[in-house]
Amino acid sequence: MNCAEFQRDLPLIIDTGGTESQEEHLRTCDVCRGLVGDLRYIAEQAKLLIPMLEPSPEVWNGIEEKLRREGLVKPVQARRP
Amino acid sequence: MAIRKTAEPEENVEVLRASAPAPQLVSTPDTVPKRPYLNTPKKMLASGMSEAEAIERAKDGDGGCFEALYGMHKRRVYSLCLRMTGNTAEAEDLTQEAFLQLYRKIATFRGESAFSTWLHRLAVNVVLMHLRKKGLPEVSLQETLEPAEEDGPKKDIGSQDQVLAGSIDRVNLERAIESLPPGYRIIFVLHDIEGYEHNEIAEMMGCSIGNSKSQLHKARMKLRDLLKVTRVEKAASKR
Repeated sequence: MNCAEFQRDLPLIIDTGGTESQEEHLRTCDVCRGLVGDLRYIAEQAKLLIPMLEPSPEVWNGIEEKLRREGLVKPVQARRP
Repeated sequence: MAIRKTAEPEENVEVLRASAPAPQLVSTPDTVPKRPYLNTPKKMLASGMSEAEAIERAKDGDGGCFEALYGMHKRRVYSLCLRMTGNTAEAEDLTQEAFLQLYRKIATFRGESAFSTWLHRLAVNVVLMHLRKKGLPEVSLQETLEPAEEDGPKKDIGSQDQVLAGSIDRVNLERAIESLPPGYRIIFVLHDIEGYEHNEIAEMMGCSIGNSKSQLHKARMKLRDLLKVTRVEKAASKR
């Protein structure tokens, strides 16, 4: 197996695992080993990207206004004296 | 009418792994949770009310509880919208639309899946609908979203650079994702960040599973190129 053959099947290899000859190529080829390592690293880092960003207050203001206009929320009950 | 403020947003903590394990030719291991920020056993609002209780009250039209649910989920929905569109104004509009749809449909939520999963799927559909209106095809993702050859990932045959492991920070990764061509970016966000399976993506996008896999691979290859360029530029600026 050469690099071209290995890399042609890479999506499948990463998805379902490699055959014996692909495993053998990975053990002996620094280029393909580096490539597989990078792709796995990117996928792992992406999984760790948590939602950090917050929408501006205008987003809630817009929602509140539309809900009010559509009459979808109940008015807050006035407290008894 | 006033909608009471009942909850503060969840605090999220930035986490990035410092190094990567050695590559293996097996499917991605389960050691890293698909959506780690969802692993909360029981969600409680700042008021002490459970999320389930807030959902039931929101179904009855309690605006305060709806705002509390918004506070709890807004970051996740907004981040999804922003990563999928790459545009702040669009992301805010879509976040608003997703929560409006949520409120209109919340009575149909039966608790068969987690509320966050249900809301998230709703938000994905809102974004995809918007992108379709802008020209995203329902079926042939390959033909119309395929970036030009010069935009695509380069083959790596016969070349060897330093590996990326340990060199990616969150900001650079977010930037690289943002600069991906739209077709690559959407699949990458849905699969690698949001944790959807290829069959789910294929169903949502109206494409084949093979197409989804192919786009994901190209997206990762393209990201690798972008991140390597970023690293070279960073190193050059230090000299």
